[in-house]
Amino acid sequence: MTAAQLRGGAARPAREPPAPSRLVHARDVLASEWTKLRSLRSNRLTVAIAAAVTLVLTAVVVEAFATAPGAATHPAPVDRLAASFLAYAEYTILPVTVLSVLVFTSEYGSGLIYTTFTAVPGRRAVLAAKAAVTGAAALVIGEVLAFACFFLAQAIFSGRHDAVSLASPGALRAVLAAGVTLAACALVGVGAGAVVRHTAGAIAAAVTVVYLLAVLCMALPEPWNIRLGRFTLPFAAYAEVAAHPPGGLLAPGFSLLVLIAWPAAAVGAAAVVLTRRDA
Amino acid sequence: MFSKSLLFTVLRALDWARVEDSAPGWCCLVRPGAHPAVLVVALVAAVAVAFLVFCLVDLARGRVRHLPKWGWALIICVSVPWGGLAYLIFGKDRTTPGVPVPAIPRIPDVTTSVPGVPRKPPAAPVVIDVERLTKRFGSVTAVDDLSFAVRPGTVTGFLGPNGAGKTTTLRVILGLDAPTSGTALVGGRRYQEFIRPLHEVGSLLDATALPAGRPAWFHLLAIAQSNGIGRRRVREVLELTGLDSVAGRRAGEFSLGMKQRLGIAAALLADPPVLLLDEPVNGLDPEGIRWIRQLLRAMAAEGRTILISSHLMSEMAQTADHLIIIGRGRLLADTSTAEFVSSTRRDVRVLSPRAGELAGVLAAGGAAVRAEDDGGLAVTGMDAAAVGDLAAGHGIAVHELIARHASLEEAYLALTGASTDYRAGTPLPDASPAAAAR
Repeated sequence: MTAAQLRGGAARPAREPPAPSRLVHARDVLASEWTKLRSLRSNRLTVAIAAAVTLVLTAVVVEAFATAPGAATHPAPVDRLAASFLAYAEYTILPVTVLSVLVFTSEYGSGLIYTTFTAVPGRRAVLAAKAAVTGAAALVIGEVLAFACFFLAQAIFSGRHDAVSLASPGALRAVLAAGVTLAACALVGVGAGAVVRHTAGAIAAAVTVVYLLAVLCMALPEPWNIRLGRFTLPFAAYAEVAAHPPGGLLAPGFSLLVLIAWPAAAVGAAAVVLTRRDA
Repeated sequence: MFSKSLLFTVLRALDWARVEDSAPGWCCLVRPGAHPAVLVVALVAAVAVAFLVFCLVDLARGRVRHLPKWGWALIICVSVPWGGLAYLIFGKDRTTPGVPVPAIPRIPDVTTSVPGVPRKPPAAPVVIDVERLTKRFGSVTAVDDLSFAVRPGTVTGFLGPNGAGKTTTLRVILGLDAPTSGTALVGGRRYQEFIRPLHEVGSLLDATALPAGRPAWFHLLAIAQSNGIGRRRVREVLELTGLDSVAGRRAGEFSLGMKQRLGIAAALLADPPVLLLDEPVNGLDPEGIRWIRQLLRAMAAEGRTILISSHLMSEMAQTADHLIIIGRGRLLADTSTAEFVSSTRRDVRVLSPRAGELAGVLAAGGAAVRAEDDGGLAVTGMDAAAVGDLAAGHGIAVHELIARHASLEEAYLALTGASTDYRAGTPLPDASPAAAAR
């Protein structure tokens, strides 16, 4: 051990090189957040288990759906396209939402957020990087699983000669939208985590937006349940993934706007709150 | 083709099983010391899950039937391997409690120049300037109109009792808390203006603030990447703090001393000209404390600006050249360590068989005399030589004659114990003329 090693070697300049451009800075912060996300074994394990459970339960649900007595004579409340995503809607979306909440709350809980903010004083840059990395990871996971669920479900249906093909109207849109929904829920989780800061509270807030608001709307009296309910995440997502959505829901284009608006609101609220509060 | 070594490679890569090469055959897969109950629970759970899935599939098909004769055999054959795998993954390995603490490397003494190694002090010395800083949390005033400057080339100790506002001040300097009024500048700039602040200021606020599940290497790498620092430097600071052998272990398994070293490693990542450390010696053993002390002294000798906070006066006395002492958010003293000691109470203790007579002589000579419990006299206003001469002149025998300084500890307690009574600028208690005039 020499003084040169203490200082980091003679080749390194003693002081910071000229300030990095915005692009380089963005790349640095993104790389840092990606390292954080991928280096937690619990993240990899949870996603792997969630994917396995989703696929198994998709098979179970679709099998039940296909072999239900009277399936041929009575039209089911859920069409064969949407049935592909029934397991995905819970066993993928809930774990990924919780992991996204932890992106911020685990750092607040351990105090690591101070290290993060002293390394990157621009808190909006940190939020943007965390949201981008988490959202992108969720989008990839979501699309892969959505396609897997779709093909698995239709393979089971095809055994009974009533499968939907990817080329049939609305099918491709439904599969792509299912992946987008996972990214939207992940971003709601990131925003909730940054605003609430405590894990339990933030999970409650995120689950309220992702699931419970829709349930609450269903408890409203007759015309209002669907009038308000169509603006919640689950109904917007359902309007996207169903081949024949029930009346009263928004058109797929507007539903996509709803799917974008909720995460935008959550991350926007986080951006306002993060810069105003002490860390 | 299925190969044992391939399986082991995969298991090692996943960090799922402790694979011991030395064990014979497949025995190496068994976790030494793991409780057998874990295996039983894992197997039972696996069978239960398999049974549940079987029932679910049945229910889903709209009919409930009894398990066929071969059903149980199938369930057990399928679930036992899964149970074994669960045992490997979750069975806690009890043979290695915690992470072995690696040895602390020797710090090069850069105060005496190392031959052949060019000394490169920071390009420009950086000063930390805190100017009339006030921070209130609701009705509580944590920092109250605090002003001080931290100069390069010295180790400055930031002292105060618990709750004096040390950490709040550091948090404001680091841009974590917004000041209610006043400024805290590093090299003339607010911390928030730095794009890559680690190149300007290395800091450690709370060594235990670590991601429990993330290996130390990735923790440092994430911090380094955010400031455009390469992997080579991450390896260097791991070597410097002696943590390179445990870099792959999760930070949550570290002992407090190792966490402190990891925090120091993070602070040194960009080789910054300024170091801000909050209670850096907490949880360190004597060797670790000496290591930090040498490190800080070496870095100060290179012209860096170093501020370390502590509530332990005795520790600071050996590390810091300069002291900034605060109490209840206000500045109590901003002075060099040597001056702080000399400015505090001093007296002469004298023990004599004719104490009463001697006391009268000393009082007549202009000294203030106080009797102590054991019959000795505490004399102020006269030095030891004068006391001895006076006693000799009157033919009084003296058995003990000691010039006493208050210890740094006592001086500190005297100062902070009454911290509401002393504002910034008020002379220290029993201050020497030199200190009062300053």
